[in-house]
Amino acid sequence: MEYLEKVKYLEDKARELRRHIITMIHEAQSGHPGGSLSAADFVAVLYFDALRIRPSEPKWNERDRVILSKGHTCPVIYAALAMKGFYDLSEIHTLRKMGSILQGHPDMKKVPGLDMTSGSLGQGLSAGAGMAFGAKYDGLDSKVYVILGDGELQEGQVWEAAMTAAKYKLDNLIAFVDDNNLQVDGNTCEIMPVHPIADKFLAFGWEVYSIDGHNIGEILKVLEDVKHASGKPKCIIANTVKGKGVSYMENACDWHGACPDACQYTTAMEELGGA
Amino acid sequence: MEIVSRVHARNLVEWAKDKPEVLVLSADLTSSTEIDLFRDTYPDRFFSMGIAEQNMLSFAGGLAREGYYPFIHTFAVFIYRRAYDQISMSISYPNLPVRMFGFLPGITTPGGATHQAIEDIAVMRALPNMTILECGDATEVETVLDAAHSVNGPVYIRMLRGEIPRLFDRSEPMQLGRSRTLSIGSDITVVSSGICTEEAMRAVQVLEKQGVSVQHMHVSTLKPFDDPEIIEAIARSKHGVITMENHTVIGGLGSIIAEKIAEEGLGCKLRRMGLKDTYAHGASKGYLMREYGIDAMALISEVEHAVGQRFGITEADLAATYIAPVHSMAKPEAL
Repeated sequence: MEYLEKVKYLEDKARELRRHIITMIHEAQSGHPGGSLSAADFVAVLYFDALRIRPSEPKWNERDRVILSKGHTCPVIYAALAMKGFYDLSEIHTLRKMGSILQGHPDMKKVPGLDMTSGSLGQGLSAGAGMAFGAKYDGLDSKVYVILGDGELQEGQVWEAAMTAAKYKLDNLIAFVDDNNLQVDGNTCEIMPVHPIADKFLAFGWEVYSIDGHNIGEILKVLEDVKHASGKPKCIIANTVKGKGVSYMENACDWHGACPDACQYTTAMEELGGA
Repeated sequence: MEIVSRVHARNLVEWAKDKPEVLVLSADLTSSTEIDLFRDTYPDRFFSMGIAEQNMLSFAGGLAREGYYPFIHTFAVFIYRRAYDQISMSISYPNLPVRMFGFLPGITTPGGATHQAIEDIAVMRALPNMTILECGDATEVETVLDAAHSVNGPVYIRMLRGEIPRLFDRSEPMQLGRSRTLSIGSDITVVSSGICTEEAMRAVQVLEKQGVSVQHMHVSTLKPFDDPEIIEAIARSKHGVITMENHTVIGGLGSIIAEKIAEEGLGCKLRRMGLKDTYAHGASKGYLMREYGIDAMALISEVEHAVGQRFGITEADLAATYIAPVHSMAKPEAL
């Protein structure tokens, strides 16, 4: 695929992800749109370009692994897995419903293609480090991607994991920080400042990359850049907008865990170019 | 009775020899949890995780997800108190085969309340998917590894270290879900676990000389708890049940037996020996067992209350008792 064609293809995938996110949360009348939308571009490039995965063989040992440490934004991953064919796209309409494989927070025992259970913030990077070590120890060249929120970095365990990953030279571990500056109660800079994030990871011995988390070209490039074996774990800090793509949700803290009503749903879908 | 030293240290090295999938994790308590020999023998399979237990437990979840068997080693309190959420969400909910070796159960340390795991069974038992084992002697410290390894999910183990008595013959390993019948009787049933079993064995010997017929059962699998032999023993008992545990009476063995009595409709009297809803202070194990009423004399006193008779047994009578390692299932009458 030509480069520009690829960028266009991935932009379309990101837009489709966003439409599914809005639909899922609207239908469930429950869920977390803000952080799902801010991560959509990165997730689109991961699943539709970067990841080595086999939808027909979810437990393929040589696959790349993904942990959504900020598990509440699972609609973005659920939609991506469905679009890839890990399960039928119709499943997305069952989010948060009785008997669904798509729990409110990710359950690896239920969802094909999901590598780790998550939802209690702060644990994913530790589990990711364990998986990255295990994969290396097994002689695999699999990558382990862990998606974190900026607010999540307030959890002390994240920094325990950061120390561990550096100690064991886990250069196959890639942390992606969805730095949208908002958490449930407000701005991270007011609730409990986590910035500067880059300096912190650098000090912990990581390689750090900062990008515009909504620029497909930058995401494509950084995911190439982090592939080299440097002996250091990598952190991608993505400057993002919470609620990205739906005008009234953008940078609005209230849309962390709210769901659109019928009228808001129509507006959102129009803005995202869908029905 | 044989006293053996640093049983786990040598045993783990031998046991794990042909099990490359077994990885050992330490939180800066390597010699304190007797894994220094493992570290020196298999440096590639040993992980020094620092004083960071939350990360260690979630990291173990990740290793287990990759097909390994992480063996967590630290003091019990730093497993279940410090990292309960991590155990629940990174290990128990995804049902991953992480083995957690919790040292210093109950009052086996002079370190005081910060280091005494007195409510671990209560909280760990509440976790779905969790198996809980407790060692009562050297043979169980050796054979708990096989018992735990047969479980396809997380296992929490109340582990012993240092100088440990051998109460059970080497030929009779710990068996998952099975209690040991140490004596057969019908006046009273005594159910003990962990370090309390040695004390109970002493008391039972002296009591039997006084004509009390005691059914003594030793429990090493606390969850799942479904050994029918215990229910049968309780049902047969004339004067009810006494439980004896190195743990608070809330949520541990005593509570487990209470639940069974109620569920089975046995309707008998239950006396729970253990810490009476209190933190303990630091002192020697022997002193604390007497202070908190979980030693042989305390059991004799409970039995006296239960059967409504006094025997005038003294410390000197107990001191004279000799406990030989027993083939518990083969010949329980030997006690």
